[in-house]
Amino acid sequence: MAVVRAELKRGQLAAEIIAAYVRAQCELRRVPIATVVERLRAGRSPQRAVDPYALEEARRLGRAVVRTLTLLPGDTRCLGRSLVLMQLLSRRGISAQLVIGTRPSPDFLAHAWIEHDGEPVLSPGDGSFGRLVSL
Amino acid sequence: MTRDATPEQSLLEARIKVPQHVVYRSFPSETVVLNLQTGKYHGLNPVAGRMLAVLAEAESVRDAAAVAAGDYEQSSEATELDMCNLCNALLERGLIEIDGSGTC
Repeated sequence: MAVVRAELKRGQLAAEIIAAYVRAQCELRRVPIATVVERLRAGRSPQRAVDPYALEEARRLGRAVVRTLTLLPGDTRCLGRSLVLMQLLSRRGISAQLVIGTRPSPDFLAHAWIEHDGEPVLSPGDGSFGRLVSL
Repeated sequence: MTRDATPEQSLLEARIKVPQHVVYRSFPSETVVLNLQTGKYHGLNPVAGRMLAVLAEAESVRDAAAVAAGDYEQSSEATELDMCNLCNALLERGLIEIDGSGTC
């Protein structure tokens, strides 16, 4: 019975992640990224008071987002994952910042990740990305 | 009879601002500029990157050119021309705006 409940919960989380992904992709097509972030944050739950488990939960959700989106077709790279996770965290009252970093050489690359209270909850890359903006 | 300022003269007197939706960061090899409204990245070589940073702080394009002339030991004339060319390129790409608040 406990196993069934756990599977059900995992399924619900996967469905939430997929719905959040679809929403993020729709918004990205229509409005600039800063507006996307505002919209995805809207309707968030009240921010939790200092919660020592928030970071752990944020990272757990981050791992779930990466695992689930890996199975989907389409663009599921860093920005998509970050926007999905931002929605999940906002709904749970966990603060999240979208960070965009770049690395101009040897080949130009940009990378996006989520931080909670300054701590990365998605991979910030290999340490070579300079922070460009935090939304 | 008054003489109208040339576009370049007007630009030299203008104050430039970097809009909120434009962010940039300097790296050793280039300055990366991101326009958050378009999602496009732009690269400036180190000299242009330095000029952008100076433009953002200066009271006018002319003042910015004077600072840059000192940095690179160039004549003011040459630097003003370079600065105007840079401003026009950045204006075209929506990476800077002319501050409409005006100067005294």
